[in-house]
Amino acid sequence: MTLAPHLDSKYIVRGELALGGLRDLAPSLRYASLLTEDGFSVVSVAGNEFDSNRFASMASSTQALADAVARELQLGDNEFVIVAAEEGHVVQVRVQGHPLVLAALFTDRETIGGSLTAARRTARRLTTLLMAK
Amino acid sequence: MAEHVILFAGPMGAGKTSAIRALSEIDVVSTEAANSDRTVADKPTTTVALDYGEIGINEAEKVRLYGVPGQRRFDFMWTILAERAEGVLLLVNADADNPVETAIEYVKEFFALYERGGIVIGLTRADLVPRALIEEYANALADEMPDVMIPVLTVDARSQEEMMTLLMTLIANIELKQAVADSIGVGVGSGGRRAR
Repeated sequence: MTLAPHLDSKYIVRGELALGGLRDLAPSLRYASLLTEDGFSVVSVAGNEFDSNRFASMASSTQALADAVARELQLGDNEFVIVAAEEGHVVQVRVQGHPLVLAALFTDRETIGGSLTAARRTARRLTTLLMAK
Repeated sequence: MAEHVILFAGPMGAGKTSAIRALSEIDVVSTEAANSDRTVADKPTTTVALDYGEIGINEAEKVRLYGVPGQRRFDFMWTILAERAEGVLLLVNADADNPVETAIEYVKEFFALYERGGIVIGLTRADLVPRALIEEYANALADEMPDVMIPVLTVDARSQEEMMTLLMTLIANIELKQAVADSIGVGVGSGGRRAR
């Protein structure tokens, strides 16, 4: 039986490595979570003011709703999700080849473009890390 | 256009998505993701935000069907979608562990919607267990909430006809409650989920 990603040490260890790199790329990172697409937190970094399980569940729903909108409007595959608010923004990207989503919350000191670049780079790095034996 | 907003709630694997697919006259909007928790329900995908379908009763009336995720970790979606709903069609799989307790737990969770409109319970997969007596559920509900009247029926979530019967039972209850409230000049309750 295949182990779910949130219980699999391979995903947890390599996820920690990738999210650690995201913090180096974007010092304004406030919180980041690697989650299964059905909302289980695999690993999270930075601020501990959030409930990691709740953040993962909300990110999962948001991702699925955005995917549904893209699908209904026949826009092709949804590439990323951004929730921009007054004091910060959340960027979500899928980890290619795995049922995983990277969701990262940045303060308003980071531009949305900068945050998106950092998140995408981190997701690509995680894909590479997960390919290694 | 008059519209009814109905919520489909209940535990993971009870058949909420199947029921909305059976009933809806439009292509259902689904938000399914790969299911990581095969111990709770052995199915490849699970709803993580909502399902949405529609039924046109006549030219002037439409029923909007919203399915919520079954897992408690998505309860923020329950709150969001309960805001506009008039009633809950609660599906409980009779072959799960402790289905009677589960049914009562969900009734309590959505009790504000019972007060505002109504709740009906559909027992699914009842043919897979040696006993799924409707009386057992009705008696447990009566013991727990003596003044509450909630219809309980066994249904096949994939059957358009059976789900329509359950839905019409709910809508009749909602309209009856509304008519009684109108006749005595009081509004029915409002609000989201009951505080726990």
